[in-house]
Amino acid sequence: MVLDVKSLVDAEAGLISRRIFIEDEIYQEELERIFARCWLFLCHESQIPKPGDFITTYMGEDSVLVIRDTAGKVGAFLNVCAHRGNRLCRADNGNAATFTCAYHGWTYGNTGDLQAVPNLQDAYYDDLDRSKWGLIPVAQLDTYKGLVFATFDKNAPSLTDYLGEMAWYLDCFFDRREGGVEVVGGVHRWIIPCNWKLPAENFGGDAYHVAWNHLSALTSGFTRAPAARQTPGGGTISPGNGHCILAVGAEDYSAAPVEIIQEYEESIRAETLDRLGPRLEKITPNVGTVFPHMSFLRGSSRSFRVWHPKGPDKIEVISCQFVDTAAPPEVKEALRITGLRAFGPSGALEQDDMDNWEECTRTNRGAVTRRYALNYQMGLGHDRFDEELGAWSSDFRLSDSNPRYFYQRWAQLMQADTWDQV
Amino acid sequence: MTEEMLREVEQFLYREARLLDNRRFPEWLELFSDDVRYWMPTRSNRYPLNSKAISILDASRYEEEEVSGEDELAFMEETKKTLEMRVARLDTGMAWAEDPPSRTRHIITNIEVEQGDSPGELQVYSNFVMYRNRGERDEDFYVGSREDILRREAGQLRVSYRKIVLDQNVLLAKNISNFF
Repeated sequence: MVLDVKSLVDAEAGLISRRIFIEDEIYQEELERIFARCWLFLCHESQIPKPGDFITTYMGEDSVLVIRDTAGKVGAFLNVCAHRGNRLCRADNGNAATFTCAYHGWTYGNTGDLQAVPNLQDAYYDDLDRSKWGLIPVAQLDTYKGLVFATFDKNAPSLTDYLGEMAWYLDCFFDRREGGVEVVGGVHRWIIPCNWKLPAENFGGDAYHVAWNHLSALTSGFTRAPAARQTPGGGTISPGNGHCILAVGAEDYSAAPVEIIQEYEESIRAETLDRLGPRLEKITPNVGTVFPHMSFLRGSSRSFRVWHPKGPDKIEVISCQFVDTAAPPEVKEALRITGLRAFGPSGALEQDDMDNWEECTRTNRGAVTRRYALNYQMGLGHDRFDEELGAWSSDFRLSDSNPRYFYQRWAQLMQADTWDQV
Repeated sequence: MTEEMLREVEQFLYREARLLDNRRFPEWLELFSDDVRYWMPTRSNRYPLNSKAISILDASRYEEEEVSGEDELAFMEETKKTLEMRVARLDTGMAWAEDPPSRTRHIITNIEVEQGDSPGELQVYSNFVMYRNRGERDEDFYVGSREDILRREAGQLRVSYRKIVLDQNVLLAKNISNFF
């Protein structure tokens, strides 16, 4: 590789090159070294609960078909016909025993096997080994608490190792009660003309922008007033491997300003404390990013989303809402409706993020602009490894410590030729 | 449906479009009843039941409907109160998605007026093209249909229900910061 990664990321000095947000050469390396190597989030199991259920998504720019096969096992494949490379499945989701390519009619089973080829006898003289021309599977697939992840790299560490200490933090969102969470039907999908790393780092701990960029939503009642959020504690938390969590104080339940939701949170407080352990007496994790680009939050909305890259200056967001499976129906309904009013493309909070990420990307087209490093120095030297939290934690909730760890991990992966070097 | 009624509804919808494009949002809000439900579902790509692209394994689970349901995510699902909150937010000087404001143009067409299910209610269908230009050169086209229920309150027509169906799967705009 010709890229001098060291010149792009100086985490110790808190300096990041603007080039990583715009240059296509760097982006192409990201597709290989980040997206073709890391564990990437596919979907939640509750989105494909029964045999035959499928959903289409992306891993990097690769179109991917995730299927629960007839026997009930979840698999993921390139959503690409082995014959001419046509995109096989054009639906967002559904239920299928087989998939047939629209071009020449090659048919695959829900385990990815090539079942039927038109004119196999007369045109191929029955001389096609169908076992060699099935759908291309991911190298590894695993789930954690209902979250389905996969990697294209057979040498990648296990999902357990990849998540590491992040697993507990995921529990704080997806396994707070018995039964975990279920996904609300429907999805928000939209295009943002920005680099994928900007929303990933934003959800990875940008508490700084909330009180300014989202102040209009705070003051007009879409989320809680800033005064209510001044509880002590919380911080930007890096559990390792580039994963990021933003936590508020332990007394801050991080719930929407809706009575039924607040009461629900109050009512399950003891149960979640018991289930998740004493760390919850110290912090309330409320937003985060699994490296590289799966983010989630539990505040005015309970949403997880992936910032699918579509070039250095474009992403497609696929965003879903989730609720505790054990929550009463009226709480689930309140969460659904409160959540979609706050987050999603029209969300009273989220709509104000887009222009910032777009312009933070677009300005880097300027050759002179690109010469100047970005400032990630907030709280430099004011974070430490916290044994109780099992993570590096900033001393104050406003800090750039998380993006510094995030880009450090990015740089490690961009420099390493194999997982052993990471 | 009388010609007079059709004309009145048309003029009502055109006036509404002008209020939106001129950013006269408090006046726009007055066109809605206090119990309005303002709903903009999402759309998905689904194979119809007769599609030969797949063979369905479990027909009992197969969902053909591609417009999101009432218990699912929507782009917007608003009451009068939350519409008022959205309008109030625009006036804070910090609603960045609209600061500087978008330039919008609502083109309303294909208006059909029918008697509604309840006495005094009108079922109104219309199509829209909403062009948004923003910043220096951002352009978005939001195209779709609306189903409204109109009723007369104190002599004035009011929208008591609006369903907005956008003709997109992946929303191609970066956000939705305007009304339809």
